[in-house]
Amino acid sequence: MARIRNVAILGYGGYVPRLRIKATEIARIWGREEDALPVREKSVNELDEDAITMAVEAAKYAMRRAGIDPSEIGAVNVGSESHPYAVKPSGTVVAEALGIPPNFLAADLEFACKAGTESLQMISGLVSAGIIKAGLAIGADTAQGRPGDALEFTAAAGAAALVVGRPGNGEVASIEYARSYVTDTPDFWRRAHERYPSHTFRFTGEPAYFHHTLSAVKGLLEEAGLKVADVDYFIFHQPNYKFPLAAAKVLQIPKEKVEQGVVTHLIGNTYAASSLMGLVRVLDVARPGQLIVLTSFGSGAGSDSFLIETKEGLPEKRAKAPLLDALISRAKYVDYATYLRHRDKIRGA
Amino acid sequence: MRFNFRPQNHWRFKRFRYRTEVLRCANCGTVNVTTRPVCRRCRSRNLQREELPERGRLVAFTTVKSPTEEHKELAPYIVGLVEFEDGTRIVTQITDADPEDLKTGMIVERVLRKITHDGDAGIIIYGFKFRPPIT
Repeated sequence: MARIRNVAILGYGGYVPRLRIKATEIARIWGREEDALPVREKSVNELDEDAITMAVEAAKYAMRRAGIDPSEIGAVNVGSESHPYAVKPSGTVVAEALGIPPNFLAADLEFACKAGTESLQMISGLVSAGIIKAGLAIGADTAQGRPGDALEFTAAAGAAALVVGRPGNGEVASIEYARSYVTDTPDFWRRAHERYPSHTFRFTGEPAYFHHTLSAVKGLLEEAGLKVADVDYFIFHQPNYKFPLAAAKVLQIPKEKVEQGVVTHLIGNTYAASSLMGLVRVLDVARPGQLIVLTSFGSGAGSDSFLIETKEGLPEKRAKAPLLDALISRAKYVDYATYLRHRDKIRGA
Repeated sequence: MRFNFRPQNHWRFKRFRYRTEVLRCANCGTVNVTTRPVCRRCRSRNLQREELPERGRLVAFTTVKSPTEEHKELAPYIVGLVEFEDGTRIVTQITDADPEDLKTGMIVERVLRKITHDGDAGIIIYGFKFRPPIT
């Protein structure tokens, strides 16, 4: 993986459910100190929402911005760790809801929070090779966290989608470079038939999150021959508010190049959608001709890193669908009991 | 009446459920939701597929507090009557809203949501609902 040729982002979209729970409400139930909570609040799915329905919402916005006919979509990849079925694809439902005719490749991907950018890697490869004209890369999750576990403060719901295709028709951005860095690092997992994941607390920071994220970013910059100063925005996977800013500090990236792409303090960790959600928020404000480095992280563990350059078509396409901040701002707060009901944590009712 | 959870039944209606795709009679204009290729009003076989618009107007709504067994997990939920520009009306659930967020005459938009599911092991039924538009 290195230089990517003739691959563009034609449209983008993010989706966040309207419900929120404040971290202080979770802390109240479990008797935690309120001064060191990892996020301010997080998004909660409606009772009728799951990874599939949210993927459709984000993809609909991406398709609208791309202005593409559904028949031109040759692949639909959905990355998630909360696919509603253990066996039965999410991508087929998403595609039929969007009116995409049957001649397409559907693939569901899993790599903890990295599954969304894996979708982007694979669609980029198919487009670059000329196998498909355009494809949908989606990350969507209704993330699980055991009641009382540290993850419960951050495990959230959301989706982000990109329509990726050939450049040359008012595209939003081009994908210039891509790089991955993965190792077998058991920092977080969920065995088959288990409802909640297990994790190794601080081990998920270093050597999991930081080692993989920093290695991927450094490798990408080296390969592209760029310095931190050449790049306008850096976007990281954001399991909490601290980690992306800490990664930026190590790389000596100024805070103002990172903050626009951080949404986790407002909506929590949307897992496979997390770093893509940061990209959506950056594309909502970026000017044409700016450079973006997008880097995901998935436990298990690994990172995908991309160099993206915004293009002239961005402002016009941005206006065709709601901005991410509009979705974030429609927050309606729920208490812990309602949250438990919405996350299907009350069984036997 | 019990909800029909047979996968074959859901599969037959998926175009309508996912995208409000209907068969409009070219002879009399009637909108047919059935998968049968015969107009329910004039018996014509000259039917054309069309997707109803993504946006319509909320004509009336009410809150269901005593649902049928397969919808009890969602209750209380809102059911509305939505009218499209051509006068076609559809009964639908209204989501992402509380009754105080709604007004008759307001524009609502179509979304895909879970309608119900057949326990923990059976199929999940997805289908359209409407909600206040996000701008």
